[in-house]
Amino acid sequence: MTGEDRKQEILEALKNAVVQYDEDAAKEAAQKALDLDINVNDAIFNGLVSGMEEVGRLFEAQEYFVPELLMCADALYAGLDLLKPHAETMDLGVKGSVVIGTVEGDVHDIGKNIVKMMFDVAGFTVYDLGRDVPLDKFVEEQLRTDSDLVCLSAMMTTTMVGMQKVIDRLKEKNPDVKIMIGGAPVSKELADKWGADGYADDANNALKDAINMISSLKKMKEDAEAKKSS
Amino acid sequence: MTVDNSSPRQRILNLFAGKKTDRVPCFSGMGNVTTEGLKKFGYKFAELHSNAKMLADAAASTYKLFGFECGIVPFDLCVEAEALGCEINVYAHSDDILYPTIKKKLITNEEEMDIRIPSDVSNRGRMPLMKDAIRHLKSDIGDNAVIGSYVLGPFTLAGQIMELNDLLKLSFKKPDKVGKLLDNLSDVIISVAKEYESAGVDFITVREMGATSDVLSPRVFKSLILPYLKKVFSELKSANVLHICGKTNDIAVFMLESGAKAISVDQKNDVAETRKKIGSNALLFGNYDPYNVLVSGTPELVHETIKKCIDSGVSAVWPGCDIWPTVPPDNFKAMMDTVQQYRR
Repeated sequence: MTGEDRKQEILEALKNAVVQYDEDAAKEAAQKALDLDINVNDAIFNGLVSGMEEVGRLFEAQEYFVPELLMCADALYAGLDLLKPHAETMDLGVKGSVVIGTVEGDVHDIGKNIVKMMFDVAGFTVYDLGRDVPLDKFVEEQLRTDSDLVCLSAMMTTTMVGMQKVIDRLKEKNPDVKIMIGGAPVSKELADKWGADGYADDANNALKDAINMISSLKKMKEDAEAKKSS
Repeated sequence: MTVDNSSPRQRILNLFAGKKTDRVPCFSGMGNVTTEGLKKFGYKFAELHSNAKMLADAAASTYKLFGFECGIVPFDLCVEAEALGCEINVYAHSDDILYPTIKKKLITNEEEMDIRIPSDVSNRGRMPLMKDAIRHLKSDIGDNAVIGSYVLGPFTLAGQIMELNDLLKLSFKKPDKVGKLLDNLSDVIISVAKEYESAGVDFITVREMGATSDVLSPRVFKSLILPYLKKVFSELKSANVLHICGKTNDIAVFMLESGAKAISVDQKNDVAETRKKIGSNALLFGNYDPYNVLVSGTPELVHETIKKCIDSGVSAVWPGCDIWPTVPPDNFKAMMDTVQQYRR
């Protein structure tokens, strides 16, 4: 077996471990990847993350439901915990930091945790405020950490409306910050109406959106600086 | 034979009894407080939950102000969990509408799932207060409006007293263990519901939204959730409704199999399709969006949405969730007018 074959085999093993929510298999494959000196970013993105992409597909097809998704996430973290200390700066084109939490009155954090996982994988610095977070706490934390992105999650209609206030306050303090809202009752219409930059009803969309937003933010900053120096 | 539809309450009781009605009723089995009602009394939302008279006043005001054909208490989802020993947060500091939540879970790991149910569970926490509220409400508007209360379904209650994350994974990994907990919790729910019945409610809604197909597969619903719903409904004496929000098209038939007299679904359900599946006689309540239509829509959107509900074949015009309190009065009026005037 060539080195390339062996590498493919291990990437496949990482992927399958996530899809089949097998934490032990994920650890074992991650260890093998380290032993064989496989590029760690490769192992994360072409192994674990492609597993999670497959899970996303199965979820959309309603073959997997939330319990499976949670178990797959556990398997992903089992592998990621071993690989991450060895990862170089990851190359997604962008890097950033994000403040994330579930708004006050809402104690549901499963969706938020899945989104957080995608940021963890992508190498973002994540400031996780947890659940039932007072609205002003989001504003304080964004200012404290100068994060590029704030993600607000709500699972219930009854708490979703709090998001609008956070968006207003954040934009007032820092017009450049990008805000993403997510959760079952959230829609594109509401995101537009409330002035959020992105919305996601699932984790895959959240990550894609986040990367786009941060890219555009970095570009805006660069343009502004180029203008200043010229 | 003429059927007595002389009051909204009588019409709704007729509906539950399978008798003909002159039009679809417009009511709910879930929270129905409005900020208009609160304004009338000068009450703060956070104060209501621990005062029977205030609860009843607020619940009755929706009938008095808008003609909504019911009075429902409580307004939060924590009563049973509190009776089991959980502490709740009513967000007393907040002037916003924040629904009470559980501060501290009763079960923090798998080993603690074998809980002992206190023998006086139906008299603990705010249970006596809820019974008082029901009595107030009944004597206030109970001749004309239907009086109801709700309990959580066993799985949703389990999600209140333990980490949902753990509950969901264990539903997959150790269904027997979860089943045993749900069986225990069914007993709690039954004794709570019986107290509400003895306080005089006309009907009880069982809210099992934790088992929506957005979260659990229809297969798991059938094997793990349905048996305990059957157990609960077999013990209820009053008229009753099973409510599940989110995706429900693939479980609507199971929902009826639970033994519930009526099923309630939200805006994600394709009611016309469900109606075909369950036949013309089954009671199906729904399914307007209480936020995106009733609160943030225009009166025209409300009108069109309610017409669509009726055309799709609902047995009662009924919201997909709690009435969100900040309903503009014009929208509420548009809904009630449409129900009065529109015939399929």
